[in-house]
Amino acid sequence: MTAVEDAIVLKNGSKTFQEDAENPVYVLENINLTIKKGEFYILLGPSGCGKSTLLNIFAGFLDLSDGDLQIITSNKTNRNSCGFVFQSADSALFPWLTVEENISFGLKMKKMPLEERREIAEYYIKLTGLTGHGKKFPDNLSGGMKQRVQLARVLANEPEILLMDEPFGALDAMTRRSMQKELIRIWRETNKTVIFVTHDIQEAILLGQRIGIMSIGPSSKITSSYEINLPYPRDITSIEFNKYYRQVQAHFEDINLQIEER
Amino acid sequence: MTVVKEVKIENKILRQKKKGKSKLSLILNTGILGWFLIFSVWSVVSYFSDPLFLPSPLATLKGAIEIASDGSLFIYMGYSFARVFAGWTLGLLIAVPTGLLLGTNPFVRSLLAPIVNFVRFIPPLAFITLFMLWFGIGEQSKVFLIVYATFFVITINTFTGVLSISKDKLRSAQIIGATKFQTLIYVIIPATIPYIFTGAKLAMGSSFMAIIGAEMVAAKEGIGFMIWNARLYFKTEWIFVGLVVLGLMGFLMDRLFTYLGKKLLSRYKVVS
Ligand SMILES: Nc1ncnc2c1ncn2[C@@H]1O[C@H](COP(=O)(O)OP(=O)(O)OP(=O)(O)O)[C@@H](O)[C@H]1O
Ligand SMILES: [Mg+2]
Repeated sequence: MTAVEDAIVLKNGSKTFQEDAENPVYVLENINLTIKKGEFYILLGPSGCGKSTLLNIFAGFLDLSDGDLQIITSNKTNRNSCGFVFQSADSALFPWLTVEENISFGLKMKKMPLEERREIAEYYIKLTGLTGHGKKFPDNLSGGMKQRVQLARVLANEPEILLMDEPFGALDAMTRRSMQKELIRIWRETNKTVIFVTHDIQEAILLGQRIGIMSIGPSSKITSSYEINLPYPRDITSIEFNKYYRQVQAHFEDINLQIEER
Repeated sequence: MTVVKEVKIENKILRQKKKGKSKLSLILNTGILGWFLIFSVWSVVSYFSDPLFLPSPLATLKGAIEIASDGSLFIYMGYSFARVFAGWTLGLLIAVPTGLLLGTNPFVRSLLAPIVNFVRFIPPLAFITLFMLWFGIGEQSKVFLIVYATFFVITINTFTGVLSISKDKLRSAQIIGATKFQTLIYVIIPATIPYIFTGAKLAMGSSFMAIIGAEMVAAKEGIGFMIWNARLYFKTEWIFVGLVVLGLMGFLMDRLFTYLGKKLLSRYKVVS
């Protein structure tokens, strides 16, 4: 048995936005984080603490101001091995392309022939429960289905690391629940590394193997980390689940107190 | 049971009401009523006034037949249309790439945007004499005037379109490794098409304004020439024929363009 490999290693990562010379915005300070291959990692924190910023750094959308980031994947082209699911499917999907064309967009950019593209798109349409909707345009789908399209579009490029920024935040409770289940199913089927941002404690415990809690900004850090040792699929009504919930909730109360003190 | 029945009947009444309403709105939508109103007012007012001052609709129709009988009306329409079409097409071909460049390249934007925002307030008509000096009194000066008239509307619309593309769309392309060129072709242009379309439509209006002006000042043919020329013969009804024909040409071009846009570009959600 070899030790599980690392997927992302961040050392002393800091991010400062330089809006203008006088007023730098210190968002992240000295973050150290190692994420294992195949891990389901949750970034949990209050609004505005810098979760999206951190995820955008992993994705390569933003650069670190200081520190060192390593994305370890089997193929050489570093950044393409990440996939990103945005919070808003409406702003991320291409409304002029059908569901199928959206999903195979990345493959088209890689100049894969149409037939092959179609086949792969069909596979991911099935995997994400979109069978029969391939020829529709995103505008004609419900919010939950649009988010499935986004997930399928990301998966079709076979990224090793899946970055998800509050992907279910805009969905109603029932749709969110079923999407969470699907995501766990897909994650276990595909063995991907997932980094999932949320500010919903229940969602965090339902999905994650490990939860990193970020402090309020400016200069946020990952202050503590919880391992959730519960088998999947998880039951939110179980006693064990509630134990974790209380723990994390208590931690959050502390953070809220901090916010109030300001 | 009875309750169910009542509801059904109510529904039926409701539906009938809706039907009646939709018929009325259908008639209203054709605009016939509005036209009828305008023609009535025009007829009544012209009845009490000097035909040299305000010819009646009938006199205008007679005037139209008069100019149409030797074919000159159609030749004039043809000239005006050809100039507008040539200038507008050429303007579109120049303005769209310019708008894309302004939208995608911050350096070009900071270099050219101030100039664009200065020049666009100079109306095309102000350039007529200058263009004649530069390009001669032939077709060239007129076509270029229309290019000028269309350029800014389309450029500004295009570049606004590029700037309003959501970051997430561009990042979606970036993260799967799309090249800059691929992003332009497969994301930026498709996302901007509705804006380009609107710009092109607005530019049609400016084209007509410019061409009539140019034809009044320097042309031996065209609707603008016809309107300007009418004063020599005290033919006020010819002016009215010109106005009606202009409206009609613009209306038809706009309709055709919108129809084609909706047919060919439906997936890009062009709005009319
Ligand atoms: N481009 C930017 N320029 C300046 N400040 C920024 C920029 N992007 C983010 N910030 C600031 O960084 C902080 C963190 O933002 P971020 O979007 O990462 O928070 P978040 O944890 O994702 O919040 P939420 O849960 O509301 O999505 C905020 O205070 C925000 O104002
Ligand atoms: Mg965020």
